[in-house]
Amino acid sequence: MNHRTRRKTKMLTSHSMRRGWQRCLAGVAALALAGSMAASPAQAATSEAPASENVLRIATDGFIDSFNPFTSFYLVPTNTFRYMYENLVANDAEDGSVTEGLATEWNTDSEGKVWTYTIRPDMKWSDGEPLTADDVAWTYNQMMEKEEMAVANGSLVENFDKVEAPDDGTVKITLKKPQANNPGQEIPVVPEHVWSEVDKPGEFKNDEKSVGSGPFQLESYEANKSITLKANPNFWRGKPKLDEIQYRYYTNSDAQVQAIRSGEVDFITGLTPDQFTALEGADDVELNDGHGRRFNGISINPGVADAEGKEFGTGHEALEDKKVRQAIRAGIDTETLRKQVMQDYAQPATSFIPAVYPNWALNPDDPVISGFDVDEAKKLLDDAGWKEGSDGIREKDGEKLQLRFLTDADIPTEQSTAKFLKPWMKDIGIDLKNESTDADTESERTTKGDYDMYFSGWSINPDPDYQLSINTCGQRPDAEGNGGTTQDGWCNEEYDKLYQAQHVELDQAKRQDLVQQALAIHYEEAPSVTLWYPNQLEAFRSDRFENFTKQPTDGGAIANQVGYWGYSSVEPVSDEEATGGGMGAGGWIGIAAAVIVVLGGGGWLLSRRKKSDDRE
Amino acid sequence: MSTPTHDPHPEDRRTPGTGSANPGTDPADPTSPGSDPAGQGPASARDSADAPGAVDADEPPAGGSFARYFLRKLGGAATSMILVIVLGFFAFRMLPGDPVLKIAKERPMSPAQIAELRSQYGLDKPVIVQFWDYLVGIVTGDLGESYVYRKSVSALIGEYLGPTLLLTGTAAVIAIVLGLWLGQISAWRRNSLFDKLASSTSLIFWSVPTFWLGLILLMIFGGTLQWLPTGGMITPGLDPWSFAGIIDVITHLILPVVSLVAVVYAQFLMIMRASLLEEMNEDYLTTARAKGLTEDEVRRKHAVPNALLPTVTVVFLHIGGLIAGAVTVEAVFSWPGLGKLTFEAIRGPDLPLLQGTFVVFSAIIIVMNLAADIVYRFLDPRVRRA
Repeated sequence: MNHRTRRKTKMLTSHSMRRGWQRCLAGVAALALAGSMAASPAQAATSEAPASENVLRIATDGFIDSFNPFTSFYLVPTNTFRYMYENLVANDAEDGSVTEGLATEWNTDSEGKVWTYTIRPDMKWSDGEPLTADDVAWTYNQMMEKEEMAVANGSLVENFDKVEAPDDGTVKITLKKPQANNPGQEIPVVPEHVWSEVDKPGEFKNDEKSVGSGPFQLESYEANKSITLKANPNFWRGKPKLDEIQYRYYTNSDAQVQAIRSGEVDFITGLTPDQFTALEGADDVELNDGHGRRFNGISINPGVADAEGKEFGTGHEALEDKKVRQAIRAGIDTETLRKQVMQDYAQPATSFIPAVYPNWALNPDDPVISGFDVDEAKKLLDDAGWKEGSDGIREKDGEKLQLRFLTDADIPTEQSTAKFLKPWMKDIGIDLKNESTDADTESERTTKGDYDMYFSGWSINPDPDYQLSINTCGQRPDAEGNGGTTQDGWCNEEYDKLYQAQHVELDQAKRQDLVQQALAIHYEEAPSVTLWYPNQLEAFRSDRFENFTKQPTDGGAIANQVGYWGYSSVEPVSDEEATGGGMGAGGWIGIAAAVIVVLGGGGWLLSRRKKSDDRE
Repeated sequence: MSTPTHDPHPEDRRTPGTGSANPGTDPADPTSPGSDPAGQGPASARDSADAPGAVDADEPPAGGSFARYFLRKLGGAATSMILVIVLGFFAFRMLPGDPVLKIAKERPMSPAQIAELRSQYGLDKPVIVQFWDYLVGIVTGDLGESYVYRKSVSALIGEYLGPTLLLTGTAAVIAIVLGLWLGQISAWRRNSLFDKLASSTSLIFWSVPTFWLGLILLMIFGGTLQWLPTGGMITPGLDPWSFAGIIDVITHLILPVVSLVAVVYAQFLMIMRASLLEEMNEDYLTTARAKGLTEDEVRRKHAVPNALLPTVTVVFLHIGGLIAGAVTVEAVFSWPGLGKLTFEAIRGPDLPLLQGTFVVFSAIIIVMNLAADIVYRFLDPRVRRA
């Protein structure tokens, strides 16, 4: 309506309008300039670009709260701690078995209650100070004594009674209850001489010039821009060949793919099958289709209940019958799913311990394993009393076998899986409804037990104890999510006994056998159907770097390892072409753009001024 | 939205106050004949400024003093701000899912660790206490502490505002200059090849999703041609105040700015074109021509200044919208600004940070609306006098 009100005031001078405009533009420009200045507080110290030949640049988009190993539990900091701080014992690259770390050897009393470690002599922190058993004991005691120091890894020391360092070369851990799993894994050991000086260690950010024992130390961190790690010359396995690792922030994984094509980063991970295939044949980019330590599956509501056995949620009653759950497994053609949905970028699965841990994973030859068998599925449902109705959907006591399948709408593989499942379930007489929603709703509904089936996934560490533990009865949380964590909301006494038995079995072979038995029960009971172990799809610039170490060494992944193997062995490709220190095309385009803006802006202002002079 | 060029409501003409100083209510009108998408643009800006629109419905009759006018507008803005603050708290509490459980998902965390996190985040307190803390915090300028960054939200927003202003400021200037310039030429040479090309191109870009356009540009100029960087604001390690650093920032700026400009400049073009068309049949232009002025001079000195008037208010509205539009562009180009901060906060979910960015974005739009109202009052002498 604005225009209607304008009458014959045609003499509103264009002069003043233009002046207004100029001011307005100048204002915006000044604002922007001031803004960008404020954004980059005097960082003139880092005026030099890194000597790029020997800096491995990795794209990332992960959250970082701090680099405090006592409090941070996000993925990127956790992975960085593995490079910054050596643990008492490490997990090797070959298959994740326990291997020497700060300790060269260790032994335990007959029941697995007292663990004694011999610390390697003459080790040094990255700042040159000696590294002794006292540092280990101090770190562990911090976590045991102070709540705010146990935020990230408290569960790992829950079973610790006391930790002592009788001399510089010995650490003695006394546990509350015996355990077979080596307690020295996965706890970053920090230097006492640095951390005891910190005022509030629970709030310490530790985000520059860290002091540690691992192969790389944090040099600097700029939120949402970069993380720079420098090689540690005092690393006990020897200084890495790389000078630096630099993480660069890319919010968008498609942008990461473009960045590796253009050579702006040297390594990316976590690609989707589509992105991975798109990179095939890209110049100087080598792909790694690494077997991962994750599983994906369909969790079936077996009638969830809390630790006391009080049931809650809206799971379909039919699913409390294990025959129905077994029928669902028999009706799913996991091999087709793996090939079609995952485009073969996944390994065939048995149970929830992935095949990269051959010592623990349920053996594919185990007699309990049953394959895809539609007739068997129908028979199981018949046996369970669900008879086929006129429309092909089974019913019992007038109730139809209609199930809900909860999936994340943002994840294409979950949606494709649901599309395959619907007709397959129809074949065996189950009406499956795909309820696709956002991740937050999915998480809320699974916590409340408000589901029949949902698409699930976990990453598994080298020792199976934790994942086995969250399948025990006592770990089930209540409907508010308080109390514990559970994988499938399932409970089985026989399984719990096997869990306890393996928990304290010090003989590795016997423990493996117990784990297999426990996994077999879980398989037979079918509270979840494991679909596949997804591969971790990665790519690196083969024109710049070589010699990445995979975990497992045979066909494993480079990033997200349990350990510091992936980048520590990396070397720059020797016959480096001098790529020239000058600016690339981008630099010249930038200069051109700046010149255009300056000239254009100047010319425009000049012409305006001339015009207004004319006019007066 | 269907106002014909020839006014069917002559009574409106006698109440210059109505609508004229009310961009929040119907800024889209000038563009409406036959330009549907461009009409929707301002309309969506209007939606985001819904609350002031509602308050503005009781426009003061002609003759109100400036002070009254100003106070009324200020009151409207304040009301919207209060609504935003209340909404900012409750809307995000209503999001499904427990932030702590989401953070703890797939991590070996004991119940004690989860309880410790809850108390660190203040989520163990009753909602009404949390709300009170939030209100007290807002009044004292404390927007809480981010879960992820473990830093005060106000400090984070301050830190990330700069890059956003640089990006949106540059894009706004280019989009406005380009849109208005193309718009006036299009109108002047109505139905010429230039007009058809300029209008349709701008409308095509206008209808393209920002996200898609950004990715396509990224693929062509970043990945394939490798002319321009694929993300970020500056190559890590460069000093932003050195010559190389400034050039580096400019090269990083090009793609995001082009995406932002391409998607929004149509709004300015269509508004300018429509308002200039309005002027073209006016008698005073005939007079100007009769005086012997060239076509260019008639356009630049007589027609355009008058046509510019309605566009200014719309431009102000869009500057607010542009900052909000930065969310998508910053997410595509990994630009370390407020938009990216918001994007990450949603992923968290980082409730205090979400609340903070929501309140700040809304405040920017509300302030821009208020500024549009006031600027209009100053620009148009009739409204000022009225």
